[in-house]
Amino acid sequence: MAAIEPAKLLELYESMVTMKLWDQTALRLLQEGRVLAGYHSGRGQEAIPAGGVAPLRRDDYLMYAHRGFGYTIAKGMSMAAMFGDLMANTAGATGGLGAGIPHFADPELGILGQGGTLGSCFPIATGAAFSAKYRGTDQVVVCFFGDGTANRGAFHESANAASAWKLPVVWICENNGYAVSVPASRAIAGRIVDRAIGYGMPGVRIDGMDVTEVYQTASRAVDRARAGEGPTLIEAMCHRFRGHYEGDPQAYRTGEEVERLTALDPIVTAAGRLVAEGIATERQLAELETAVQRKVDEAVEEAASAPMPGPERLFEGLYV
Amino acid sequence: MSRSTATRTLTFSQAIRAALEEEMERDDRVFVWGEDVAVYGGIYGATAGLLERFGDGRVIDTPISETMIVGAAVGAAVTGLRPVAELQSSGYFGIAMDELYHKVARWRYMHGGVFTVPLVIRLPEGAKGAGPEHDVSPEALFLSASGAYVVIPSDPADALGLLKSSIRDDNPVLFFEHAGLYAHRGEVPGGDHLVPLGKAAIKREGGDVTVIAWSRMVGESLRAAEQLATEGIDVEVVDPRGLRPLDLDTILGSVARTGRVVIAHEAPKTGGAGGEMAAVIAEEALEYLESPIIRVASADVPIPQSRHLQQFLIPTASSVAEAIRRLD
Repeated sequence: MAAIEPAKLLELYESMVTMKLWDQTALRLLQEGRVLAGYHSGRGQEAIPAGGVAPLRRDDYLMYAHRGFGYTIAKGMSMAAMFGDLMANTAGATGGLGAGIPHFADPELGILGQGGTLGSCFPIATGAAFSAKYRGTDQVVVCFFGDGTANRGAFHESANAASAWKLPVVWICENNGYAVSVPASRAIAGRIVDRAIGYGMPGVRIDGMDVTEVYQTASRAVDRARAGEGPTLIEAMCHRFRGHYEGDPQAYRTGEEVERLTALDPIVTAAGRLVAEGIATERQLAELETAVQRKVDEAVEEAASAPMPGPERLFEGLYV
Repeated sequence: MSRSTATRTLTFSQAIRAALEEEMERDDRVFVWGEDVAVYGGIYGATAGLLERFGDGRVIDTPISETMIVGAAVGAAVTGLRPVAELQSSGYFGIAMDELYHKVARWRYMHGGVFTVPLVIRLPEGAKGAGPEHDVSPEALFLSASGAYVVIPSDPADALGLLKSSIRDDNPVLFFEHAGLYAHRGEVPGGDHLVPLGKAAIKREGGDVTVIAWSRMVGESLRAAEQLATEGIDVEVVDPRGLRPLDLDTILGSVARTGRVVIAHEAPKTGGAGGEMAAVIAEEALEYLESPIIRVASADVPIPQSRHLQQFLIPTASSVAEAIRRLD
């Protein structure tokens, strides 16, 4: 496999750091009572959105999952707009409808939004991929989902059609071992990656805590889709560090388990590698983190200054 | 151009097909997909010949995957295409209900209006001897699916004009077609025949009673009106041509003129759209009513597969006529 350019490795690292700091800031806003929405922290799983979105072009399509806001950050969405959506004010991409369990989108960036009913991403991703092929573009769709969502019937219908029609879509499953509270061992027959065989597409299981591996695997799948060779299923094994949602008592797992998993931080791993390979010094990485935090803070400030919507917002934009 | 400039006689099914052909010819973003729509030409023949005319890139046989058919139409619509998807039976609504109710209707709104979702889902409905799951008329289920239009033609001319308008509209449209009407023939205007969405049709003018009917019940109501004319009762038949957008002005205007209302639809009375229609009339026009509103509908039972039993269940011209005779 071709080595990744040092600059790209740094980009991937910065992308993960941005997600982490965004997440930390969102959690602080939540504690301060400034968030009018639920939130599913993405801490621990940053390598997957960072490595999975990085191979995409601006005009490629993204169907994102609900864990953290990393996917859309990586696709270039305005952080102020996303904070605005958390605060449900008019700075938000939804113009104040509120989208903490996100329903924000940016057509210009190919961000196609998200359904609150898990698995509804699959047919929509299939349709966007069909659309790219129909219009004769070489756009690619990446669709993220969790191990729990993998069990929706909509996956079967979509994976089958997308593969039968050789559509340019990459399915990226983040398997963090829990569907809310139910462990994968009790809910998943066989391995998710092996389902790819049934649909006649390549399936790859990777270490989803390793941003380099995610990036390289996703890049190959995106290239394959862009070349008209059809879909790929990637199962990225990973760990979530926090509860399913903020306030989740996590009675389904021990504190010891959480402690063991949080030691596997993908950002710490990537930082260690960058320093060991002489790509960056610890000091440079610390400076990078400070600079990112400043951008995140500016985004919060910009979002916080926007007014809340009035009742007229309810009736805006329902029909064309 | 295949379009005729002169008035012609088409079946309802041919009118649907003509609408698809004309719009596909006009706009290459329009495509058709569904189960058996391409090689077979649709089980009601409504897509016959389109494959030969436009090729398999635009006329697409899908797997038996209704969730995908509807959901992927949303994905195609938000990325620049104008899908016309066929659910082979509206009875399959449940298989695609998340997609119809939450995605088709709400994708635009819940993402703050940044997308348009210009698609049409064609939904054959109504009793035809195919049993309780296939023979439903489920349009009222979508009364609360704000964000989606609900359009229902009752004759070939409206089938053509309403479908063409639906395809051109930037809002998503659930387009219900009564399977029992496909073989009905009717005059269709020539040229680019467009019927505006949300404009009711007064299918027959009359001064004594307003019958609000849609789909197959329009024809039945017109037959009832002819029958009652011989008895000296002058019936007005108003076809709302769907449930949303709803042309309240025309409906309430007619009610104000006649003071008597019968609402006729094929779906069972309880949960049918007649209840909503009656409520609106009661709220907006009670002072004009000289008699209680009567609903003519199927009884609250599943639709049996036997056509023999269906004849006792499904409302007809005589059910409408009987209801009108009951009015004060």
